[in-house]
Amino acid sequence: MSFHTAQVPSRFDPLPRIVFYDDFDLGLQGWSELVGNYEGTLDSMLPEYRDLRPPMLSNGTMWDTGSAGSLEGLYALKLATRARAGHLAVSIKRATWRHRGPIRLEAYFTFKPEATELLLSELDVRAFGVLFDIQDAEYRWMPHFRYLNAVAGEQRAQWQFKRQREPFAPIGGSGKTRSHFHLAPTGWEDVPDGRQLLCYNEIPTKYNWHYLRVDLDLATRAMTRLQCNDRVLALAGVGPMMIPAMSNLWCMLNVAWWVETDVDKRAFLYLDSVALSGDWA
Amino acid sequence: MSVRQNVTVIVERDRPAHGQFATEPYECGWAAEAIFFIRKLQAGDQLVGQQLRVQISPDGIRWSDEGARLTFSEGEVDFVRAAHFGNWLRLAGGLPDEADSRVLVALSLKE
Repeated sequence: MSFHTAQVPSRFDPLPRIVFYDDFDLGLQGWSELVGNYEGTLDSMLPEYRDLRPPMLSNGTMWDTGSAGSLEGLYALKLATRARAGHLAVSIKRATWRHRGPIRLEAYFTFKPEATELLLSELDVRAFGVLFDIQDAEYRWMPHFRYLNAVAGEQRAQWQFKRQREPFAPIGGSGKTRSHFHLAPTGWEDVPDGRQLLCYNEIPTKYNWHYLRVDLDLATRAMTRLQCNDRVLALAGVGPMMIPAMSNLWCMLNVAWWVETDVDKRAFLYLDSVALSGDWA
Repeated sequence: MSVRQNVTVIVERDRPAHGQFATEPYECGWAAEAIFFIRKLQAGDQLVGQQLRVQISPDGIRWSDEGARLTFSEGEVDFVRAAHFGNWLRLAGGLPDEADSRVLVALSLKE
């Protein structure tokens, strides 16, 4: 590996300005573990935020077939939960925006449970998702999308969004820090006509790469497009969490991915590459 | 200028250090050398002299001792080095059930 910027390949459809393009053959590329806010002691952190796991670079090595590599090259960014039902792994990249206009996130991804059983295991991953955390002069707004794969062993195969806010809790005693666990399992709503069956394949050690695209308009604070492979979902009635602007988050533009396990087995989300683009003069 | 990749990840944070202890599997086949650092977040007298073993794995599921061991000292931070470890690393071992320390485990990796 060496440090340089990869050219965005033609399998992406970026807007004219590339904010970042991350090919994980080049390294972790600035993606890191999400951690909750704390003050004075780690014990002040909301419990849900304490253990969201560091991302790693995976060559997709399977016990039965060896290294699968990534869609292009060898390494993918890998998020891995603990082997505990309901546990999440979350990775984040933190930036800021320079123009309130259209932005587009694209990625090639796949998800799998850890291959600890010689079983299909297609209902072991509960969900994976992507969220944005954005602030302008008036609002902190947080678009959330997830693919709910299964719940309690029942297939859902449903794209969802979340606009319901979770309550803020004060952190520490200074009055300067607050925290809310916005990835809580409550308050998720179905994207209209958002059921989509994905290519899981036929054993847990075979994985297929998928395309995901999310478009936002920073000017209107709108979620304008969700596309996974061949499906473009209508987003009428779909919106973000809206929070009055907070004191230290001006021009924030964060992107985070997560994966959640439905059983006592690790769930993995792999990202071959991620592109964030925008359109401004 | 070409520089080597060097990444530190926190494989355990504020974790109780007692009983059967194993860090989560970490894939790092891109790295040629590694150091596990353990920092006691609270004084842990019961840990002094205890050991954890570096383990490697062909698949992230099944583990073998690599040979290197970390020994807890009276200091705040202890470490163990590893190299030529394949694709996965973890640190594992049995600690006293009565130990009440909490630890932060950092894994420092370099090409």
